[in-house]
Amino acid sequence: MNTAYQLSHTCTHTLISISRECSYLLHFPTKGCERKIQDIFMLAVVSPLRSTRDESQGTMESFSIGADDFADLSEGNLLESINFDDLFMGINDEEDALPDLEMDPEMLAEFSLSEESEIASSPLSVPNSNKSDCNSINNGKNTITAKKQEESNKAATSSSDSGSSQEIVSKSGESVVVNPSPKESEKGRKSSTHQSRNNPQGKRKVKVDWTPELHRRFVQAVEQLGVDKAVPSRILEIMGIDCLTRHNIASHLQKYRSHRKHLLAREAEAARWSQRKQLGGVGIGGKREVNPWLAPTIGFPPITPVHHFRPLHVWGHHTMDHSFMHIWPKHLPYSSPPPPPPTWPPRTAPSPPHLDPLYWHQHHRGPNAPTPGTPCFPQPLTTTRFGSQTVPGIPPHHAIYQIVDPGIGIPATQPPPRPLFDFHPSKESIDAAISDVLSKPWLPLPLGLKAPALDGVMGELQRQGIPKIPPSCA
Amino acid sequence: MGESSNSSASYIHMVQHLIEKCLIFHMSKEECMDALSKHANIKPVITSTVWNELEKENKEFFEAYAKVKSNDDRMSEEETSQMIQKIISQSSKGAGNE
Repeated sequence: MNTAYQLSHTCTHTLISISRECSYLLHFPTKGCERKIQDIFMLAVVSPLRSTRDESQGTMESFSIGADDFADLSEGNLLESINFDDLFMGINDEEDALPDLEMDPEMLAEFSLSEESEIASSPLSVPNSNKSDCNSINNGKNTITAKKQEESNKAATSSSDSGSSQEIVSKSGESVVVNPSPKESEKGRKSSTHQSRNNPQGKRKVKVDWTPELHRRFVQAVEQLGVDKAVPSRILEIMGIDCLTRHNIASHLQKYRSHRKHLLAREAEAARWSQRKQLGGVGIGGKREVNPWLAPTIGFPPITPVHHFRPLHVWGHHTMDHSFMHIWPKHLPYSSPPPPPPTWPPRTAPSPPHLDPLYWHQHHRGPNAPTPGTPCFPQPLTTTRFGSQTVPGIPPHHAIYQIVDPGIGIPATQPPPRPLFDFHPSKESIDAAISDVLSKPWLPLPLGLKAPALDGVMGELQRQGIPKIPPSCA
Repeated sequence: MGESSNSSASYIHMVQHLIEKCLIFHMSKEECMDALSKHANIKPVITSTVWNELEKENKEFFEAYAKVKSNDDRMSEEETSQMIQKIISQSSKGAGNE
């Protein structure tokens, strides 16, 4: 690689990182925002001037140089100050090998892009063979990717991501054209650059496109290991897809777990609402009439992954309407158990957020859940207190939470293969709900019961022999 | 942690939160104690105490809650029995059904 090549890469890369930073800042403005933006632009100016050594960090820290020198840039419009034309010009001139036409608009497009933050960096060493796999998984735009490979090898990013031509682009003057090439191509490329883990141009976390297929495999792997025990590295092994890194899996896992928890909690609530509605409720919150279970489906249609989606949007609890308390004392704030965690979709209206949790949900259910048609004995998910008396010997199914309730005289003698009327949430649901509380103490109380007087509680506890809380052990 | 009443207060708040979650699941006090102990490492006695205090503060709620639970149980019993009967008969008959 000659210097010019490196330089151009650096520059491009930097611009990419800049755009990424910009977009990030645009979306998450922070206090030091202005300063940051300044820094970003300083980078833009500085990078081409610097050697290629460290830009790949992709961070701004490395560019602490002469911030002062660029102090004047901070005034007014930084964008104006930076002469992109020169920047890009320089790059072009110096690099013959670079497909000029491709690069500029692409770079510009990239730069102006805001959404596609995880712009694949670089293509320096991307082996093509694997790319195809990734691409097919991610986008199936193999042709485009293939075509781009050479270019990608030279151009740091290309694809003009359906980026709208932004002012920057137009500013640059040259090839203002923002190739509205399909996003896929970029994605394709991105995925292809997945391979270049050790991309010297930057430790970008290449964005993984979690297609339904991919997600399904992920879920399978997770279930195989057990949700709580699922470790990214093992999941990765099980999935056996080279395009993914442990990091990708880790973050996906985190999201997955979070969604699951919310879903479980939501399902509990949904069941309650539904039941209330079914049983004619107590005229509480009529607005809640909308069956929350239907809600998600409404939001679904537009999504392709929905194909294998069964209208069973709750972890197999679709019919457990009866089980939940249907009558809620009026003094409870129904207005929905208060603003549920942000990811809970609003109950009365199907909204985009539905899609997401459902996406997660349906895939999860895929592997192990019974279809809606079955007389539902959602195996791992439910249990009933009925069974408890006669089932003392039943070892808890992997996810069954046996609750012995001596209070109930049970005529039925079968150790239910988990009847669907679960009055009892599965161990998983409970666990999820509990961990949710533990991890997010700031969440509003679901029921909003009046809190007892602290003194009273403490006094009582002391009487019981607990001098102070939190106790050191359970 | 544990140096001031603040942490106690927040701990109790947490326990209350957990209990409320259990209430959503329609659990009884014992079940709650069990669950919290298992999943959140909270001593049953603490859960119990907080539950009791909550009950004192929210009498109406708990009264209604008790009613609901008993209603549910009754209903579910019947329905569950029915369901089970149905399934058994279905499976024994195979394809045919009455």
